[in-house]
Amino acid sequence: MYTLMHGFYKYMTQKDDYCVVILGLDNAGKTTYLEAAKTTFTRNYKGLNPSKITTTVGLNIGTIDVQGVRLNFWDLGGQQELQSLWDKYYQESHGVIYVIDSNDRERMEESKTIFDDQERTAVRECLCSSWPTNRDLPDVMGVREIKPVFQQAGALIGRRDCLTIPVSALHGEGVDEGIKWLVEAIKRHAVVRPPREND
Amino acid sequence: MGGVLSYFRGLLGSREMRILILGLDGAGKTTILYRLQVGEVVTTIPTIGFNVEQVTYKNLKFQVWDLGGQTSIRPYWRCYYSNTDAIIYVVDSADRDRIGISKDELLYMLREEELAGAILVVLANKQDMDGCMTVAEVHHALGLENLKNRTFQIFKTSATKGEGLDQAMDWLSNTLQSRK
Repeated sequence: MYTLMHGFYKYMTQKDDYCVVILGLDNAGKTTYLEAAKTTFTRNYKGLNPSKITTTVGLNIGTIDVQGVRLNFWDLGGQQELQSLWDKYYQESHGVIYVIDSNDRERMEESKTIFDDQERTAVRECLCSSWPTNRDLPDVMGVREIKPVFQQAGALIGRRDCLTIPVSALHGEGVDEGIKWLVEAIKRHAVVRPPREND
Repeated sequence: MGGVLSYFRGLLGSREMRILILGLDGAGKTTILYRLQVGEVVTTIPTIGFNVEQVTYKNLKFQVWDLGGQTSIRPYWRCYYSNTDAIIYVVDSADRDRIGISKDELLYMLREEELAGAILVVLANKQDMDGCMTVAEVHHALGLENLKNRTFQIFKTSATKGEGLDQAMDWLSNTLQSRK
């Protein structure tokens, strides 16, 4: 009887668990974005001071509850030598957030190449991508400029949902919108890619 | 009365963080401990038992435990696990032969329930040696990609030259403070 009640309670209270990887070149603002997301969606959470965020070599995790689901973020290091480690996470990911530094015109091509590679290998595993871009600085490339650069990857994205939105991780603008879109997209694809099994 | 006092001390953020320095023997744990505490390289002998020191870093007090890493005394690490805020796991990046053992010890340790909330810092030590492993190699060799529910960070360090330790401590203190 206890087991039955306990199981029922667990069934009622459990939330679908989804995993999202945050990728992008080093210094694009991945960790800052994660902190902004945590600040936006967690009550009473005081984010890490952005000036204290250093280069990630390893993993930062974050969990937020939004619209009845639980999102687990994996924020990985973006340095060149660490990019080979990304694919270990694709298999369990339900979504990708690819962060682009809109102010960095010189590395835009590099970012594009890596994005292509990532799309190619992840093609079967991830269903949706959103590309928030860092734009709190003056003289940034707008979405209109960035989109064509990444549009060429269209064939690789295939049938996945994809959204490019302007974001300022530092000020938390656009974070809310991006995450909500991501949740909607993940929910839509839940039939094909069910939530993580919890034991 | 004591409760009130400890409440105010909690407000000031002066609670001592408990940190364990672990790793295989000869990885450089004791050298790192004393580098952190006195800021210079001391001559060490293999630790049998433990060294414990209080380290102050940017207004944060750490109680740092350095446990001996030899095969025969590794089973005793677990006696020190309770109430640990962070683990500093030291790897000898020049020792490719024993990195597998290091990986097994790390995985075995992380399975402990008492360490479920602890932050992990991996120090790829001895980066001054020729032919040492890079961060990505250490990451791969330790099987850290299987670690999906814990915040961790790897740092390149050289305890004898004092490189990389400041970044590691910076990150550790920031992460510990934001978790509170």
